[in-house]
Amino acid sequence: MVLEFKLPDIGEGVAEGEIVQWLVNAGDEVAEFQPVVEVMTDKATVEIPAPAPGKIGELRAAAGDVVPVGEVIYTLETSGAPAPEPEPVAAAAAPAPAAAAAGATATAPPPPTRTNGKVLAVPSARRVARELGVDLGLVTGTGRNGVVRRSDVEAFHAAGGATATAPVTTTATAAALPVNAAGEVRTPFRGVRRKIADAMAQSAFTAVHFTVVEEVDVTDLVAVRAKAKEIGAQQEIKVTYMPFIMKAVANALLKYPVLNGRLDEASQELVHCNYVNLGIATDTPNGLIVPVVKDVQAKGILQLAEELGELAARTREGKVKPDELKDSTFTITNAGNIGGTLATPIINFPDIAILGVHRLMKKPGVVETPEGDRIEPRQYMNFSCSVDHRLADGADGARFLAWLRTLLETPALLSL
Amino acid sequence: MSPTLSMAESELYQILSPTGEVVDELPPLSGERLKELYVHMLRVRVLDERMLKLQRAGRVGFVGTATGQEAAMIGSAAALEERDWLWSGLREGGAAVMRGLPLAEYVAQMYCNANDTAKGRQMCNHFQHKGTNYPSWSSVIGTQIPHGVGAAFAAKLRGLDEVHAIYFGDGASSSNGFHSGMNMAAVWKAPCVFVLVNNGWAISVSAKQQTGSSSYADKAVAYGMPAVDVDGNDVLACYEAMRLAVARARGGEGPGLVVLNTYRMGGHSSSDDPTKYRTDEEVAPWAERDPLKRFECYLTTQGQLEADGTDALRASISEEIDAVIHEQEAAPPMSWRTLVEDVYAEVPGHLRRQYNDFLRIEEHYGEARPGDGAFPL
Repeated sequence: MVLEFKLPDIGEGVAEGEIVQWLVNAGDEVAEFQPVVEVMTDKATVEIPAPAPGKIGELRAAAGDVVPVGEVIYTLETSGAPAPEPEPVAAAAAPAPAAAAAGATATAPPPPTRTNGKVLAVPSARRVARELGVDLGLVTGTGRNGVVRRSDVEAFHAAGGATATAPVTTTATAAALPVNAAGEVRTPFRGVRRKIADAMAQSAFTAVHFTVVEEVDVTDLVAVRAKAKEIGAQQEIKVTYMPFIMKAVANALLKYPVLNGRLDEASQELVHCNYVNLGIATDTPNGLIVPVVKDVQAKGILQLAEELGELAARTREGKVKPDELKDSTFTITNAGNIGGTLATPIINFPDIAILGVHRLMKKPGVVETPEGDRIEPRQYMNFSCSVDHRLADGADGARFLAWLRTLLETPALLSL
Repeated sequence: MSPTLSMAESELYQILSPTGEVVDELPPLSGERLKELYVHMLRVRVLDERMLKLQRAGRVGFVGTATGQEAAMIGSAAALEERDWLWSGLREGGAAVMRGLPLAEYVAQMYCNANDTAKGRQMCNHFQHKGTNYPSWSSVIGTQIPHGVGAAFAAKLRGLDEVHAIYFGDGASSSNGFHSGMNMAAVWKAPCVFVLVNNGWAISVSAKQQTGSSSYADKAVAYGMPAVDVDGNDVLACYEAMRLAVARARGGEGPGLVVLNTYRMGGHSSSDDPTKYRTDEEVAPWAERDPLKRFECYLTTQGQLEADGTDALRASISEEIDAVIHEQEAAPPMSWRTLVEDVYAEVPGHLRRQYNDFLRIEEHYGEARPGDGAFPL
């Protein structure tokens, strides 16, 4: 007889396991208790032995597959008398409760109801959700009793859930990882790092990047921001330079909409928007995530400061919602508070362009006065704007950046 | 020397060195009895290997193996008389088998089938056997300690000649039960022996992190009872130390603490992966100190074991166990009726009615089992 071997719950409440490797081939004769397959679960990696002597029929899962408990992973042609069905004992699906048996034939797991913010999920699903910035509460679980499995999170994410994309540097902290004998630290290339890699490669190899750079005298902006910071503090709002820059960018983008939007590849149309949704590249413990502040053109500086602070905090904690990571029309990446005087940002694909904001520096500057030119200590910031040359030209980038400079050098113009 | 149940800091008591040489006075055991002890140890080893394989194949739900601790279990329990009691933690099932828990019941409990005397109400690996004074035990750490002390004190009050051996691990020495149990037993001079099996790890907490004492035996000092620190991989030392402590308790002199220092070679249970918290370098030296190998060396030099190895013995034990496994695997599951039994002496009317309703549904879907007859209302 042919026995279907179902992946057992090998560790008190394990929902799924990853096939690490097969120790036999289809057609092999095996003895009872002979190791057949190595499986990794949330708790341990174990060898699973054959339940009876016989011949391996087909292997129904490949190495690397993540298989739910209870799914058939191989078949075994048992010799002689029918072996007892290796029904998973204490672990598995209890006999269907009477109510369910009497009820409908629907087998779909109940929709995940969210009570007190608690979501039933296996540990690896929680980890991956944290890495990908996915809100588990939004993911439909396909495990027993609606438990969210790792594959659910990955599918949700792949289907356009929370995503990381975009530019410039990220930090891969390797401090806690063990160094091997060769003096290397090896980490699996997956999760957020992999997503970032895919997004970057797509952008770099599709968009034709050119970068325009401008040095901006922000001495007046520094003074204005210092006052705004005091006012913000009274309302417990942290005011950085970013809301001013965002406001200036929104203004400049509405003046030069050719940089504000995206290429719709499906319809082969250039989409230019009469609103500004700014992606804000955010450095998180798990890598780069780009939450989006919507309708920046319609918001005041303080409101932007407040929204940005709240959104960035949630992004760093991995609590940002998938909706908040979509529909940017332009992106700003600010590495200025970390360092570096200049960079060439990678476009947050499929945006048309991206702005890099760089370090605030005090330098001697030439000031024009009625009495003639004077050298004075001034404050400067560099701005770099990478544009997809397929969709806009060098002059567009230069015009945008020149107007941005005008606005930021004379912050009063932001009210225009 | 004979092992001193000393109040002062004691040395590790050992009779057989790791290479099987005799380094202290041998206990008064016949050659035949020694061979028996070896077979019991080997049976525990093979049984554990089999149970773990069954668990990995999804045939039983949970296993906690005693691999590496066979000398501690078998040596110490062998010093008990039939009328004595064994209060168990996770890994003493093999000792219970030696004392008469039938292998079929052992395996039935692992399968929670119709032959399980716990009627499926315990997790797998939680054995019990009335016939050999082996009470049902709890996963909750250390609760068996005050239970055993109470039972020992009751035996004393009733004038029964029983000693209660209370087994627990290094982790349980941090439990409330340990301290209250040790204290009351010493106050009452209860006829019990505390057997602390220090296997190095309380799941993922190392024995070194568990206590500030230099030895677990030191703990006895505070309660006013003697203790002995034993090489737990030396079956003869385990036997002799336990024999002394049992004799003392039986003689009315009160309890003692026997610390069996050994090492858990496997995971805490089938749900645990020890590589996540300990290194191979830590485990390797303990493989060298394997209790079976040590005893094997000694018995071979004594002519009690054939020099050509123990493969045949191992094979016959495997065969014995596999036969029981196949028989118990084919046994039916526990009847549904047990769902409502054993809480009340007589199943009350409301439970009988509920059960009968439930049974009608089970019968309708063909899920009823033998023994599931409806209750008369």
